[in-house]
Amino acid sequence: MIRVVVKRLLIGVLVMWGAASLIFLIVRVAPGDPVSILLGPDATQDQVKELSASLGLQRPLAVQYVDYLGHAVRLDFGDSYRLGHPAMSEVLERLPATAELMLASTLIAVVLGLTLGLLAGGRPGSVVDRVVSAAAIALQSFPTFWIGIMLILVFALALRLLPSSGSGTPQHLILPAITMALPFTAIVARLTRTSVAETLREPYIQTAKSKGLTDRQVLLGHALRNSLLPVVTIVGLHMGGLMGGAVIVENVFSWPGLGSLVVDSVTNRDYEVVQAATFVIAGIVMLFNLAADLVYSQLDPRIRLEGS
Amino acid sequence: MIPLTRRAALTLGVAATMALSACSSATNGGSSSSGGGEVVIAGTYPVDSIDPGGPQGGGTGPQMVEQQLFSRLVRTKTDGSVEGDLATSWKSDATAKTWTFTLRKGVKFSDGKELKAADVADSFKRFIDLKGTNAANFPDYTMTAPSDDTVVLTASKPDAAIPRKLAVFFVLPSGVGANDTAFFDKPVGTGPFKLDKFSPNEIVLVPNPQYYGGAPKVTKVTIKKMPELAARLTALRTGEADVVWGIPDDQLPEVQKDSTLNVQIVQSSAVYTMWFNSSTPALKDAAVRRALWEAVDFPTIIKKLYPQTGSLSDSVVSKQTLGYVAQTPVKYDPVAAKAALTAAGFDFGTKLRLQFANAEFQQFNQAVVSDLQKIGVQVDLLQKEQAVFTKDLLALNWDINFQQLSNPMLDAANTVGRLYPCAAKRNGYCNPALDKLISQAAASTDEQERVKLYGEAEKIIWDDAVGMFPMAVKYAYAWNKRLSGFTPDPNGLPDFSKLQVNS
Repeated sequence: MIRVVVKRLLIGVLVMWGAASLIFLIVRVAPGDPVSILLGPDATQDQVKELSASLGLQRPLAVQYVDYLGHAVRLDFGDSYRLGHPAMSEVLERLPATAELMLASTLIAVVLGLTLGLLAGGRPGSVVDRVVSAAAIALQSFPTFWIGIMLILVFALALRLLPSSGSGTPQHLILPAITMALPFTAIVARLTRTSVAETLREPYIQTAKSKGLTDRQVLLGHALRNSLLPVVTIVGLHMGGLMGGAVIVENVFSWPGLGSLVVDSVTNRDYEVVQAATFVIAGIVMLFNLAADLVYSQLDPRIRLEGS
Repeated sequence: MIPLTRRAALTLGVAATMALSACSSATNGGSSSSGGGEVVIAGTYPVDSIDPGGPQGGGTGPQMVEQQLFSRLVRTKTDGSVEGDLATSWKSDATAKTWTFTLRKGVKFSDGKELKAADVADSFKRFIDLKGTNAANFPDYTMTAPSDDTVVLTASKPDAAIPRKLAVFFVLPSGVGANDTAFFDKPVGTGPFKLDKFSPNEIVLVPNPQYYGGAPKVTKVTIKKMPELAARLTALRTGEADVVWGIPDDQLPEVQKDSTLNVQIVQSSAVYTMWFNSSTPALKDAAVRRALWEAVDFPTIIKKLYPQTGSLSDSVVSKQTLGYVAQTPVKYDPVAAKAALTAAGFDFGTKLRLQFANAEFQQFNQAVVSDLQKIGVQVDLLQKEQAVFTKDLLALNWDINFQQLSNPMLDAANTVGRLYPCAAKRNGYCNPALDKLISQAAASTDEQERVKLYGEAEKIIWDDAVGMFPMAVKYAYAWNKRLSGFTPDPNGLPDFSKLQVNS
């Protein structure tokens, strides 16, 4: 197992180098530059040239790349053009808020999705199954920002139950976490439903029933564990998707996380922060994928990771 | 199976009810937290830095915060006049090159240290050395402190607009370094507020007891970052925010119906400005540019899109700007426009590129394009990201450029004097006669003479159709009725020092 983890981590280093290099190139190929944004439309050409030179943007791309990689291996991504502080500090400062949002939304999605999936899959073709399946399809179809706006209109504006935006209290977390969780809940519910329905048709379930176990005991004791396998996979793989969702949700709810920092930094061509944030996000996604693989192998002894 | 279903449903229902009840009480508590002397501002513009000398220091968002923390020598009033802030009086020599400012006595920084003229002179040096956008208004200007209560500003050329130009210069204590992030984490200033917190989503200001004008009466002002207009308006209506501005016409009626809010629409210093690139071959001829202006029905567009926040502009600058002189309106006449274009040999096969930056201007520009197409002029409407827009703007990579030009100094020197001389290279237009008028206006210490000269310069810009100047912009402010002492500002830079919360 340790050998597998070490091997995967070594491959991860290559992945991180690829991600770091790719984002370095992408931000520089994109039209516009940080100088135009920093100085604004009132700038003169002389000011533009001077600031470009002082930020080192007039150096050849290869020189900038070597310099960038040399610092990146020490996790030094330079100072944010816009914010004045080290880019990595800005990213790490925002990371807890996004982690909080991701954790809360994943928890909601898994608990709600598993519950609904079990309810639907336990009785395929029943009214509950139909309602859950239809709701899941609908939730997957709605754009995240639309769900967010609807929740604000209902719970903040009409009912005045929850704050419409901002952060700092548990109440502030509820709407953004639900917004991020709902589409994911739908995926988990559909997956669990199918998995449970299939598992309940397995011969060992019939054996368990013939031994006199109740429906509940069969469902929770025998069907659930096997049904969890695809759910674990999707949770691990969906971390990248959740990061993408965070970008939208954080903007709708003025949530001060990594997603809104990335949006602001891309808009303002703050190369250093975009590079640092991409590096961190790539690392997180990689680690979650590895964790999903490891948990998967633990849940199903039949599965052995390559090399173990 | 059935017991599980019922129990699960029951559990979910109870949990949801408990969560909502808990939230309900918590939220009510939260909204009352903005009372008791606390005010929440829904931030319209991003504030990433509060360094007045830094590259972003001149932006509207940073400036709004800077003016709460740091004082200036002088500041503009909402009516366009200038009043002393740290300076009590000022005078120039006959050439308008040397300006002497007498400082207010007994002013203290928020750390209790007394303000000296050396602080002002050092701040000016830092401001110039950092070469932010506003520093470009003071090319090779220097400031000295001959005594503790006097500073002397020496300009490299005659400059009668100096007092108004200084409205964007903020005074810091001596010794603040170029990239002194430690200072700006806990800044010391002579403004009405002190910085309590600067986080990614909010800036918290608390009264500065040392403020020479008396500490503000509110206990706290929180400026919340709310990039989405919908979020700002929702927060205003739920009571999570007390002040919002920049409300568009389509949202105004709803806000005006709310009995808990005050709504005021004020004339701003901004003018919709649509430059023609006079270096584009098709637009070199003033007759062509003028005809294109005549082809657009601006009165109707403004009436339809901006019934409350727009009015037909009659000058290059806004009415409250020093140097404003009304020009003869350009009449909408598509038939005459087409005839003039044909007579000028305009190639109707040419496709003009109209660039603009923000989605909020999409409809306006689309309407312009539509009117031009009615007379056979082809226009590509290009909405660009701000970074691309600015780069292309400076590189003259456009044929028609749309901008909302504000003028926080409320002096024509900042627009007419800065953007239209040949050396500015802003729009491909160059006219030595215009340059001469602008130089004369800058050098005249007689305010009436300056207005006259700028008026003549504006006439050239207007008649030669260096651009179209269709709309004078108004800003719609809304604030909670529990507040008093709030005065809307024509530059979107309201002063929070007079705010009071009514019980």
